[in-house]
Amino acid sequence: MQKLYSNKLVIFSLVLPGLLVFLFAILAPICLSVYYGFTSYSGMGQAEWIGWENYKTLLRDANFGRSLTNSLLLAIGFIFIQHPIAIIVAAVLDKLQGKAEGVFRCIYFIPNVISVAVIAYLWKFIYNPDFGLLNNALRALGYQGKINWFSNDTAIWSVLVVLIWHGFGWGMLIYYTGIKNIDPVLYEAASIDGADQVSTFLRITLPLMKPVIQVNVTMAIISALKQMETVYLLTNGGPGNSTQFAANYLYQQAFKAFRYGYGNAIGVVFIIICLLVTVFLNKIFADRQPA
Amino acid sequence: MKRKLLVTLLTTAMTISMLAGCGSTASTEATTPAADTAAEETAAPAEETADAADSTASTDPVTLKVFSNLPDRKNGQGLIEQMVIDEYLAANPNVTIEVEALDEEAYKTKFKAYAMDGMPDVVSIWGQPSFLDDVLNAGVLAELNEADYADYGFVSGSLDGFKKDGKLYGLPRNTDIMAFYYNQKMFEDNGWKVPATYDELLALADDINAAGIVPVAMDGGDGWPMAIYLTDLIVKINGTHGDIVSEAIANADFANPVFKQATELFAQSAQAGLFQTGYDSQDYATAMNLFTNGQAAMFYMGSWESSMALNQDISEDIRTNIRAFTMPVVDGGKGKATDIAAWNGGGYAVSASSEVKEEAIKFLNYLYQPDKLSKYGWENGVGMSAQDQTAYMSGSETELQKQFMDILNNATSVSGTPINDCGPSVFKTVMESEIQNASNGTTSAEDFLTSIGNACK
Repeated sequence: MQKLYSNKLVIFSLVLPGLLVFLFAILAPICLSVYYGFTSYSGMGQAEWIGWENYKTLLRDANFGRSLTNSLLLAIGFIFIQHPIAIIVAAVLDKLQGKAEGVFRCIYFIPNVISVAVIAYLWKFIYNPDFGLLNNALRALGYQGKINWFSNDTAIWSVLVVLIWHGFGWGMLIYYTGIKNIDPVLYEAASIDGADQVSTFLRITLPLMKPVIQVNVTMAIISALKQMETVYLLTNGGPGNSTQFAANYLYQQAFKAFRYGYGNAIGVVFIIICLLVTVFLNKIFADRQPA
Repeated sequence: MKRKLLVTLLTTAMTISMLAGCGSTASTEATTPAADTAAEETAAPAEETADAADSTASTDPVTLKVFSNLPDRKNGQGLIEQMVIDEYLAANPNVTIEVEALDEEAYKTKFKAYAMDGMPDVVSIWGQPSFLDDVLNAGVLAELNEADYADYGFVSGSLDGFKKDGKLYGLPRNTDIMAFYYNQKMFEDNGWKVPATYDELLALADDINAAGIVPVAMDGGDGWPMAIYLTDLIVKINGTHGDIVSEAIANADFANPVFKQATELFAQSAQAGLFQTGYDSQDYATAMNLFTNGQAAMFYMGSWESSMALNQDISEDIRTNIRAFTMPVVDGGKGKATDIAAWNGGGYAVSASSEVKEEAIKFLNYLYQPDKLSKYGWENGVGMSAQDQTAYMSGSETELQKQFMDILNNATSVSGTPINDCGPSVFKTVMESEIQNASNGTTSAEDFLTSIGNACK
């Protein structure tokens, strides 16, 4: 067996599929994207080289700016709303023990199991001003007006609620696993020392969860940046472009307005932003690691 | 020896697995659910062998690939298309037809992909600049001989959208009329009258709102129905539509006061509560459901929805009471009640690179024989074709069908292609998104007109 693995042909044959996938499914499309980003290609006919024109347009494009702001809002929502709640819920779940623990764990994870398309339509109905659950509940409480949850001012918040709610289960599950991995001896020692639940959480659970939090926060920010399917199905960026996100905007420009060149330029800028954010996050976490 | 054997085995296994991988991807791509059904329905009728090559041209086995935007092959226009295909197959046993059908958005995306590496032989197209300009510039459609269609009964002007430099590249399938569908029984029960002027429409909306009902269900989430509403208002204000819109798009300038007046009137109506709350984020199905469930008194949509009158999913009480009226006249406007928003949109064309172009054109001509698509469409109540259908009046039509026929027959002018489809696809995308902001007051009429003007540059 040892000899087999030292045979170059075998090594090559084992590496080749992965290499081919990387070359043709990842690297080549990125290179093509960069190329088309410099053209006014419409998806048909000849691609005309227009230099930096697409990138100049992109810099002035208010809708792209709006998309990035919305992504940022979502990332903030994930980090400061979704994740703190997820950690607390995970910690509480851990304390529940027994059957209840399993039941609640399942309940919290259900939204993640349901298809995004179903989730989007479900919320579309919940938010509907005429027959939606939310307005009907308000009516039952005596409020007579019809609230438009997807007006230009409120739509982004309505969308954020759905996204935060939908991604909650994942975050919680990862935190929950992290908490389960903490050595119970530490909790015993703390309780012998007379620590209450809050300080146990703050002094033991949270610090030991640091690596898990790092992974989760990075994933949350990346998922905020590449958010597409829920928004596409829920509002498709509307009304106006008030709930536009970068990936959805890219799709609209490339496949609806048939500005493939411009769409590719958005894609390139998008990749650069994602890379920068990842590098930046790694740096923050790396600096704090020794502490 | 043993090692060599293992090496060979491993390499072979890997190669096979890769090939298998490729194979399965290709087959999933080729069989969308719709294409699947269609393929079953049009299973190859002929079992010609290789010696068929010796026989005459008409019996040579031919495979036609049809790319359609009608994925539902059991209802509406998709059913009609499939009926004619089945008849063609029965009449031409040497022909096999492979249908690939996708819904509109997916269709348009894949159409562009096909345009790069070989189109199917017969394709659905839209005779509108937003779609057809790029397609004709790329030269992917075959030229048709207009003289061949002299006795096909095409409505005058309906071929115009499918021409470039005087040459014909496609044929229209439908005549679309935009209208307010209304629930006649609900109107009578409440003493409401069909409005004759736009002010009456707004006053009626107030009455309907006061009764706790939505006046007009609007699919504002999509943008295009609102763009057509704007077209409708432009027709009523200016009397004509196509000329001023083409001029504005060509000059990338929408400064003509007609546009401002129409946009402001539209925005005022929307903000005065003509449409349901949150219309600008609700989709087609939601808007239509409001109307078909009796929660809305009217529904602004095209004549292609006239089959609502026969739709068993809608309660009989509502289904049998659906009627339609066109946009009422605007006070001080030049447009008469009979100047309507109507156009010939979708249709078919033949690929320029088709290897069986002659057979494809023969099939296209078969589709458009007046007693095929046009007749079956009329008999099944799926809206009006772009051909003369008066011969098929049987008296058993729904009231809605008759109404639309009357509207068209009495029309003194038609708008032609709606404003959003008159310009390039960038213009269309910007218009359909910005009109939401203009309607709900987030942006002013001026800003809206400036941004759609910029999109033409």
